[in-house]
Amino acid sequence: MVKEECKALLDALNKVAACYRHMVLTIGGTADSQNLREELRKTRQKAQELAVANRNKLTGVLKDRTVSKEDKAEFERLWVIFSTCMEILEVDMRRALELGHEFPLNVPKKHLIQTGMSGGTSGVAARAMSVQNMKYEAEHNIDVVDLKDLEKEINQVGEMMYEMEMKVNVPHWTVEAKQDPGAELKSTVSMGASSMGMISVEENKSFCDISKVLAGVIFSAVLIIAIVLAVCVVKLS
Amino acid sequence: MTISAGGRPRPHMPCLAKMERMIVIMQDPDMGVKMRNQRLLITVIPHAMTGNDIVEWLIQKYTISEEESLHLGNLIVKHGYIYPLKDPRNLVLRADESPYRFQTPYFWTSTKWPATELDYAIYLAKKNIRKQGDLIDHEKDNYNLLHKRINHTWDFVVMQAREQLRAAKQRRKGDRIVIDCQEQAYWLVNRPPPGAPNVMEHGLKQRNCHASRVQLTKNMDYYKREIEYCRKAMGRTRVKSSICLEGYVKFNEQYVPHDPIMSGCLPSNPWITDDNTYWTMNAPTVMTPTKLRVERWGFSFSELLGDALGRAQFMEFLKKEFSAENLSFWEACEELRYGEQSRIAEIMDSIYQHFLAPGATRWVNIDSKTMERTLEGLKTPHRYVMDDAQMHIYMLMKKDSYPRFLKSDLYKSLLAEAIIPPETKKRVFPFMRKQRHSSPSPALLLLPGGEPEAKAEDKSRTPVAAPVPEEES
Repeated sequence: MVKEECKALLDALNKVAACYRHMVLTIGGTADSQNLREELRKTRQKAQELAVANRNKLTGVLKDRTVSKEDKAEFERLWVIFSTCMEILEVDMRRALELGHEFPLNVPKKHLIQTGMSGGTSGVAARAMSVQNMKYEAEHNIDVVDLKDLEKEINQVGEMMYEMEMKVNVPHWTVEAKQDPGAELKSTVSMGASSMGMISVEENKSFCDISKVLAGVIFSAVLIIAIVLAVCVVKLS
Repeated sequence: MTISAGGRPRPHMPCLAKMERMIVIMQDPDMGVKMRNQRLLITVIPHAMTGNDIVEWLIQKYTISEEESLHLGNLIVKHGYIYPLKDPRNLVLRADESPYRFQTPYFWTSTKWPATELDYAIYLAKKNIRKQGDLIDHEKDNYNLLHKRINHTWDFVVMQAREQLRAAKQRRKGDRIVIDCQEQAYWLVNRPPPGAPNVMEHGLKQRNCHASRVQLTKNMDYYKREIEYCRKAMGRTRVKSSICLEGYVKFNEQYVPHDPIMSGCLPSNPWITDDNTYWTMNAPTVMTPTKLRVERWGFSFSELLGDALGRAQFMEFLKKEFSAENLSFWEACEELRYGEQSRIAEIMDSIYQHFLAPGATRWVNIDSKTMERTLEGLKTPHRYVMDDAQMHIYMLMKKDSYPRFLKSDLYKSLLAEAIIPPETKKRVFPFMRKQRHSSPSPALLLLPGGEPEAKAEDKSRTPVAAPVPEEES
């Protein structure tokens, strides 16, 4: 069904935009590296591909006059979500350009900001690119080389958005959100379970977890008491 | 949501650029601020510093006093470049062991990337999810407000919030904590809770037009804009500041006796004495105008025309000179300019009939070029069609009739008959009720002939304050 396909494409774009933002956050900090810049580049290109796919699909549907009214309203809602996503992506790309210029990586005099982040962003990038592991194959000065491409891509995105605005006539204010305030909490039940699962997996890795130690101590104490009682019972009977 | 195709980024506040430079200097591994590790229950997060370290470093680097260093550090914290770890809502630099950390450049305060409603909504949605609906009061209010305001993108807000949380899970626990703290600090600066000082508030004056540091490719558009800008700058009229100031001083000297605040108003200031005589005497249509008013008509032509009474007197004068049609024409053009849109065609027609048509009853003398242009313009009626002709007649009256008016007997007699209202007499008894003398107007103290008024005020104060010795007049 066309609706499902559109939704899936939009979800994918949304995911990539979130991951991209997450990575732009890290530029200029101590977790910044050539790998990060390469990840940014790859994510950005993926985002653009998805954006073009989304645009083509949605414009195709919106131009189609045989679509029913409810469907059309739904597609307009998807269109508004899509254009907002593109706006966020464009702003993040501009910021990435600015930050990239300010924090070049191979200049010894320019220090990176000590933000407290020490881990890498390869997990985020892998999520964005929908792969298991990221492969890094770029040159050692990608941070400088990439900026020119980034500029071009920003212009491209800007033009695309302008075209979108001109060609498709969907006034944003006519779209009503489906979600009520607080809707994001409803699905947190499933989210909460998965997040708990993640946290417990992590905590197993660290040895000095006080709560687990306490639980272990109490359990073993109870066990010892039970054994003692059983022995007494056996002895006295 | 507006899309700015190729929109230019807004200028950066200069103080922010300076703070950023300072922050980068602080990062030097040899000469920068001393870093420690922050120890939470399980995780250890590097790159924390104590408030003391920051203050010490500032004192050493810039050789300033402790007080100044504390003030400087406070500014940096308030603008969000360093955020406190122990008491995050209180953006203050404490010169003790309380820990601080640097903010990531993405979240640096910037006037180029103002924090948008959409970003704030996504942040609140994320917080909502993490805290299971337990937001602080003002955040709850903002949340509901935003839901209404950007309702059309709310679905996107929810989607993006969920995705951002999922993306964050791919990182180490320590990094997750750091990112949460960073975001919280960012929004505390950009959307401060009610009652907290808002650093981002700046008036129009403070924005300097520094070009953005990053210039997108210098293409044709950029150079075209530069050329246009330089051309306009060259064509601007320039006046020497000495001449400007001279004009300004002359204007002030001319108008000072007429200013009710600087020179006091006769008979008395209605705001102080509750006596409306001043206003009734200076009403637009009065039998006899005050002397000051008649004098003002001599200052400039616009003053004369701007005053209803003056205009009427001028009309009388012109009637005697048989050139009243000029003023009538000017008045009719004013009516066209400021009148109702629906009546424009009608008014234009009547103007043409009365003033411009050959052989009209009140034909005005306009030069042939302007007449041609006006007649052309009659075909496409709009309210500014008569502007050229009106300006021509205005200048004519100003250069020709106005000086003669000022020299005429009519004007001189007006001046002679104009009244100077007497000052209010001292009132002995009723002062007890009304005289709330907040502060003496400068006029009452400075006016040489103002002693009677000063005395009146003194008398009014005697029952309220300690008795003041009476001044000898």
